[in-house]
Amino acid sequence: MLAVFKRELKAYFASPTGYIFMGFFLLICGIFFAFSNLLTASPDYISVLSSITFVFLIVVPVLTMRLMSEESRQKTDQLLLTSPLSVTGIVLGKYFAAVAVFLLTLLITCLYPIILSFFGTIAVWEIVGGYIGFFLLGAAFISIGLFISSLTDNQVIAAVVTFSALLFIWILDWVIQGLPTDRISGIVFACALVVGVAALVYFTTRNIFVSVAIAVVGFGIIAGVYFANEYFFDGFIVRTLEWFSLLKRYENFMMGILSLSPIVYYITFSAVFLFLTVRVIEKRRWS
Amino acid sequence: MIQVIDVTKRYGQHVAVDHVNFTVEKGEILGFLGPNGAGKTTTMNIITGYISATEGTVKVEGFDILEEPEEVKKRIGYMPEFPPLYMDMTVQEYLDFVSDIKKIDRATKKRSMEKIMDLVKIGDVRKRLIKNLSKGYKQRVGLAQALIGTPPVLILDEPTVGLDPKQIIEIRSLIKELGKEHTIILSSHILPEVSAVCGRVIIINKGKIVASDTPENLSKRLSSAGRLSLRVAGPEKQVLKLVRELEGVKNAEVQGVKEPGTVDILVEAEMDIDIRRPLFYALSRAEYPILYMKSVDLTLEEIFLQVTTEEREVS
Ligand SMILES: Nc1ncnc2c1ncn2[C@@H]1O[C@H](COP(=O)(O)OP(=O)(O)OP(=O)(O)O)[C@@H](O)[C@H]1O
Ligand SMILES: [Mg+2]
Repeated sequence: MLAVFKRELKAYFASPTGYIFMGFFLLICGIFFAFSNLLTASPDYISVLSSITFVFLIVVPVLTMRLMSEESRQKTDQLLLTSPLSVTGIVLGKYFAAVAVFLLTLLITCLYPIILSFFGTIAVWEIVGGYIGFFLLGAAFISIGLFISSLTDNQVIAAVVTFSALLFIWILDWVIQGLPTDRISGIVFACALVVGVAALVYFTTRNIFVSVAIAVVGFGIIAGVYFANEYFFDGFIVRTLEWFSLLKRYENFMMGILSLSPIVYYITFSAVFLFLTVRVIEKRRWS
Repeated sequence: MIQVIDVTKRYGQHVAVDHVNFTVEKGEILGFLGPNGAGKTTTMNIITGYISATEGTVKVEGFDILEEPEEVKKRIGYMPEFPPLYMDMTVQEYLDFVSDIKKIDRATKKRSMEKIMDLVKIGDVRKRLIKNLSKGYKQRVGLAQALIGTPPVLILDEPTVGLDPKQIIEIRSLIKELGKEHTIILSSHILPEVSAVCGRVIIINKGKIVASDTPENLSKRLSSAGRLSLRVAGPEKQVLKLVRELEGVKNAEVQGVKEPGTVDILVEAEMDIDIRRPLFYALSRAEYPILYMKSVDLTLEEIFLQVTTEEREVS
């Protein structure tokens, strides 16, 4: 894992990717810092952190598009997968390399609040909390990008799909507000999910029995849950989609609240996507 | 050493490898011969654990690729069809990385890297970016990568493809040299190459093993259909007539005229008859001198045709 991590980190700075990521990130951060702190003489640095989340949409695809897709295009995955490394080790090495570049960039931006502290008092703990949230949010986005990169051997497709996925998450909170919360639509949505999963299984394995079995079990669970607790499906759509609402948890950090549950949430979120990435790679070898 | 047990690989409806069974003993160099799409690469990918078989399994030194993949992978050096090189690294960085992922001791790493670079002669390009190397050098780096950690088993997929003749000879003798310490499976399209280095040959076609023998036996079986190409100074019609009337000649065809006043013909003899001497005397008596005469190697396609039809006759 360490070998992959080191190689990947070096690769970021042997190509323009690492510099583009850092440069763009620092530029946007600097612009916001200048406008909301320096020019207005405001010590409220945390508002910078909360308003620049949109840069993730642009910089995360840059950071992650290459990670897995380039390996399969150049066939170097043959080297990694026939070495004694485990797939999990490979995926983690790559993930941590991307996270490390991000963390490094973030550390540089710490200069901004330090500059501010020369001119007045700043809310140190609030800013530290804000940074932790910002870091976890970015790390979660990177895990999505890594996952998408493992699905294709074309970097450009990986970048575009990652951008779309992040955009979806970014506007999710607005989308959720407009969704129905009644019981019927909740049940319909649950059924649609089951059908979707079954279809996905069918298209990846071409095994009709397994997918039908999944559908039957899924509907069984829905029926079971309904009879056990009919209120479960009230607002089910919203609750499901909220699971993906990364930004909502982020607001807590911005208000200076540092609690455990959003931290656990972000780490779990990343872990799930890393696990899925491992599964995709393992799966491809069986196809 | 290596046991391939009933391995089958299906891609949807398409069967790429079909119930393949063979074993390779320690110290053996096994040649894997077959036309495009025969399933050589697929079989090698399964042995090295890059892809999984649909059915069957592979054991290396008793370790099963499905149950203990790490133990198997530790014992195999693999040079795939396309060398898996990182273009943005120098040769040295790359081999260093490979040593790390193969978990080579820091203490022995430097020395073994030097030894391998010497062996495949890439020491003078060690500081260059891999992307700037020529095809032949990339191939060598690919081979060096497989040698790192001196694994007991080497799997080489078309190791000489794309090399110039001098390098082909070098790599072949290198493989022979390596065969003293490693068990090797190598694939190729070229029968003479396999005969030159391998102790045993497996011919595979459409995913099935169609023959498995030593190169000597195989060529004995295959050379019985003697075919000669010759250039004769003389008029086309008379020469052809003369040759065709000769005893033991099954067929003779004009291949063209490359030198004025001569004719090139391809002569096919009956089974087990050496027609070179009768041919020489007959033509010299008629005062049509033979300018050259050589036996024509069977092309791979013809070998397959022959091997497959032979098998059918037997069964
Ligand atoms: N990923 C894949 N998906 C579908 N079919 C595949 C895949 N990989 C290989 N095949 C098919 O499997 C068969 C065997 O291919 P393989 O690459 O093993 O042949 P080969 O003997 O190595 O040929 P060559 O001499 O051209 O290298 C071919 O018909 C090929 O089309
Ligand atoms: Mg091949």
